[in-house]
Amino acid sequence: MSSENTSPIRGKEWHLDPETEYRFELDIGTSLALKLLRGQAEIFGAELVEGQTYIFGQECKAAIFTWRGCTIEVFGNPSTDYISEETPMTAYANVHIALEQMRVRALRIIHGSPNNSEDESSLPPSSRLSEPPRVLVLGPENSGKTTVCKILTNYTVRAGQDWAPILVNVDPGEGAWAVPGTISATAIHTPLSTWSPVNPLGSASTSAPMALSSNALVPLAYWYGHRQTKRNPLLMDRLVRNLGQNVADRDGDAEEKASGVIVDTPSSFASSPSSGMKDDQRHALIKACVDAFNINVILVVGHEKLTMEMQRTYGNRVTVLKIPKSGGVVELDHSYRDRVSTYQLHTYMYGIKLDPPPGITDGTLGGEPMTDLTLAPSSLAVGFDDLSIFRIGEETMAPSSALPIGATRTVSEMQPAKVDPASISSRLVNSVLALLAPPNPDESERYDEEVLDLPVVGYLVVTAVDVPNRRMTILSPNPGSFTGKTAIVGTLEWQEQ
Amino acid sequence: MSLYPPSHSYGQAPFAQQGYTQRGSGPAPGSYQYQPPPPVYQHYDPNSFREDYLSRLAQLTINSRPMIQSLSMTAQENSRWAEIVAQCIETHIRRASPWMKLPAFYLLDAISKNVFEPYARHFTPFVIPLFLETYEQVDQATRSKMEEMLLTWRTGSPHGKELFGIAPQMSIERAIWGGGDTSFGSDVSRNAISPISKAQVLSELDFTLGQRERALQTNPYDTTSQNQANVLRQLRMVVEAGVSQEELHDVLNQLRTLTRAAPPPPAPPAQPPVYVQPQPPAASYPLQPTYPVSAPPSSYPGSSTQPSTYAQPMYDQKPIPSSIPAFPAVSNQNPGNAGPSAPPISNIENLFSALLKAGVVSATGTPTGAGATAKAEEVKSEPVDIARVAARDYRKAVLGQKIRLTNADITRQRPQIVQFLYERLGVQCKQCGIRFSDSASGKKKMQDHLDMHFRQNRKASQNVGRGHSRSWFVGVDDWINEVSDSKGKGRADRPLSGKAAAAVAAQQEEANLRASFVVVPPGDEAKPISCPICKEILKSEFLEDDEEWVWKNAVQKDDRIFHATCYAEALASNRVAAILRNEKTGRSRSQTPEGASFRTTPPRPNVNGVDMKSGAKNSAPPTPDSKLTGTKRKIADDVSAPVEGDGTPPFKKLALSASA
Repeated sequence: MSSENTSPIRGKEWHLDPETEYRFELDIGTSLALKLLRGQAEIFGAELVEGQTYIFGQECKAAIFTWRGCTIEVFGNPSTDYISEETPMTAYANVHIALEQMRVRALRIIHGSPNNSEDESSLPPSSRLSEPPRVLVLGPENSGKTTVCKILTNYTVRAGQDWAPILVNVDPGEGAWAVPGTISATAIHTPLSTWSPVNPLGSASTSAPMALSSNALVPLAYWYGHRQTKRNPLLMDRLVRNLGQNVADRDGDAEEKASGVIVDTPSSFASSPSSGMKDDQRHALIKACVDAFNINVILVVGHEKLTMEMQRTYGNRVTVLKIPKSGGVVELDHSYRDRVSTYQLHTYMYGIKLDPPPGITDGTLGGEPMTDLTLAPSSLAVGFDDLSIFRIGEETMAPSSALPIGATRTVSEMQPAKVDPASISSRLVNSVLALLAPPNPDESERYDEEVLDLPVVGYLVVTAVDVPNRRMTILSPNPGSFTGKTAIVGTLEWQEQ
Repeated sequence: MSLYPPSHSYGQAPFAQQGYTQRGSGPAPGSYQYQPPPPVYQHYDPNSFREDYLSRLAQLTINSRPMIQSLSMTAQENSRWAEIVAQCIETHIRRASPWMKLPAFYLLDAISKNVFEPYARHFTPFVIPLFLETYEQVDQATRSKMEEMLLTWRTGSPHGKELFGIAPQMSIERAIWGGGDTSFGSDVSRNAISPISKAQVLSELDFTLGQRERALQTNPYDTTSQNQANVLRQLRMVVEAGVSQEELHDVLNQLRTLTRAAPPPPAPPAQPPVYVQPQPPAASYPLQPTYPVSAPPSSYPGSSTQPSTYAQPMYDQKPIPSSIPAFPAVSNQNPGNAGPSAPPISNIENLFSALLKAGVVSATGTPTGAGATAKAEEVKSEPVDIARVAARDYRKAVLGQKIRLTNADITRQRPQIVQFLYERLGVQCKQCGIRFSDSASGKKKMQDHLDMHFRQNRKASQNVGRGHSRSWFVGVDDWINEVSDSKGKGRADRPLSGKAAAAVAAQQEEANLRASFVVVPPGDEAKPISCPICKEILKSEFLEDDEEWVWKNAVQKDDRIFHATCYAEALASNRVAAILRNEKTGRSRSQTPEGASFRTTPPRPNVNGVDMKSGAKNSAPPTPDSKLTGTKRKIADDVSAPVEGDGTPPFKKLALSASA
């Protein structure tokens, strides 16, 4: 009468005491299946269903946390797994409740309901704590910023209040729901699942029906084109402000408006040495975020000095709070991040193909049935003249520090330069292109740098360039004509897996 | 019989009201007294599948929704063995004692509606004899349940057609109600009038009336339903007292139009009669029966788990005297609902007044159109308050937490998070883990959520083999205006939602209508002409390009000039016929006070075909055949066809503005 019938393989059982978590890390090419046998458990804030088999892969590193204790069964061979009793979840949960207080107050104001003196703190209506929470999460490398964003988002959508927070990713090194090199925003309605580092914050929509809307997100995305913030901070600043403007303009319902915004940032915002940016560039970008998203809460994950900096700069108008870092975060090296980036590009085009651990035949990947999650991109031949390709700024731009004393760079960082695919220096093969939304149909509204301000509709890869015939072969997520379209090339490269 | 008390039976009340729980006998309140769904095994050979299915069928002795769902899910998952499932069900129904037959029929009903293909096909060969044999053997109460079910079969297929095809439907109905052939299918024309028995009309009336009454039970505040129920009751009395054949036909046609109008096109009306909604027929979509969806086998670890795991109190609903009054009104607030529910509401009221007008029935005190609208608005505003009560409740709880965003507070406090994330949300979706409160509105949300899963799973099963690809992202405007239809239901479908697209289309259509014109016959320029529908004077204008005087926003029907927009609207609700009929009987024409009541009178004569080919440019009625007329219109555009209706046109020509 039980699962033994279908899965004769027995996994390893783990008993988790209340408020502990089971952490695991996977090696390349291995996968893991996990089943909640008894109790309640959640994975970065998304609740697990008892009896459901969850599959993890692609070097996933994750933790199953329980508030009240549970028993799980684990199949497969993680490279590391252990139970930790020290988690920052208490603090995160308290932060969530405090943010939730802001949401309900904001909703009350939106609805125009009277204050029934239930709120003893009786804040003046002008208080920023009666605004929807607009949270900026900052922190150094490997501090778990994205995980904090995910937990806070998941708790929010789980409240049963129809909240739909806007999750914003301004970390170009992080693919979020799309591919790296992008900064984007999307409304979240259902919990974000965890199964692979490829889609840490859900997945952009496909033509396949999905059980969870967080696996079919409709983001607004801008193409930065690089994984490192330092490559073009000016462009970054501009895109952040564009994104912020559109988030502010978004016409959501009352619940969405009250839900607020959660912004995930790159670690380069936190410290200068590791980011290769000057302090003033870094602060300029933080300021761009604070302004663009009208931030009223800054959470700094485990970084005292940055907390103080933020407190000094924004303390008078923003609540700045240091939150503990989880002991579970794994130090990730660059080669790991490179591989994840490659996985993300492949997943964008080809979808998900993951072999469960031996003996497991059925299960769910991030809440979706395992069957049929692969995608079929199209390979298309496109004439050189059909698709206009731009590169932003000079590719071989000298670092600012190498400029003559007193000289400042002017617009060249933001100059869209047309790329000639025929030229040897175009280096288009294996480049990732961002296909842009069409420009303003009104010719008189056009301007030189418009391509900088157009959102991305999809990503393409140039797989071959045929100079004699003036054609190139392009891998596109779905079939379509590119005639008259515009694309921007960055520094992201496609690598066969 | 004790196992099948009518009060628990499937069709008596919507699920939201009366669960299957035999109150008082269960272990704990809120827990679930049916056996957990049996584990779903992977079957690899047909014989063991047959055995298993038969044995599970044998347990279907009472009207248990979970069991029916589970069996239906198994059928869905094993559609390659549809034949076996069909054989099992047939054998079971034939063998089972009479009191066990109805649940099995409900299963057959559920499977064929939810998994139309291939099951309906497999059931068709035996459904007639099986139904009739069973009907013979069961008691009166069960018979009326079967009749109700039979009525839903009329529009049970995914295309809103007869579930098992027109022929079986007719032969069953004829055998049960006697009478004869009634006009079926989308062609509800008058040319095939045949005797209709009073019994049949009464049965259908009872069915519709039952729906309204159930709606009332669910939501006593629903004045609209109350009104409709009253009207239907009066109608019933009139019919019972005896009316002519033709009147019976009218009543029947109207009732059918009403039920037929119900199923929204994309979603087949997948509900068995049972799940009849508070607001039928409009609400059918969100409330269709839901299956907790093909969880993998492992998700039912069987008896080893505490029963509470399976507690889906959703099915255990009693009218809850909670702090949230009149919850079912929430169903009206569902955005997907609000739209479609409007026309049928007015429709049913119109039915009575139409019959009154037509002299079919006579009674006193009919609801006025204006009153009905006001009431509809009342109903709409109510859910907002409920939502607010719930929001206030939550707000209180959250603000009751003494946590501020300070280091001390967040690290030292014990979080009450468990209360918010688990305890306040008692029911969990077994597919994705999302929780809902076990309040009435939470259950409604859960229901919608399960429906969403069901639709997605069905889509997925229909899509097998077809490759998928990553979708393009949206542009700024679409993103900013993304309609959050998905609210609470966890679905952001298309960038441009169906609703938005429909709105755009409607706008476009309106613009087209307004652009159409009729050339004023020479000499008539100064003559005031009013639209027979809205009674407003049509203004004539001089068209520079064509050098002619025209009436803008006008169409010509027979020898009358209508506002194109009025006419299209009227066609949609079949008012034109009433007007035309009045004209023909030589009654007062325009400007009579009676005109106002036309707004609410829709007898349903056959107007659709008439005249439409005569180039009624731009007056596309949203009737089922509007597509057809659309193509004809297109042709008319090209050739600029002159009028050739059956009315002799007193005008030289009907101009068609090609692009104006």
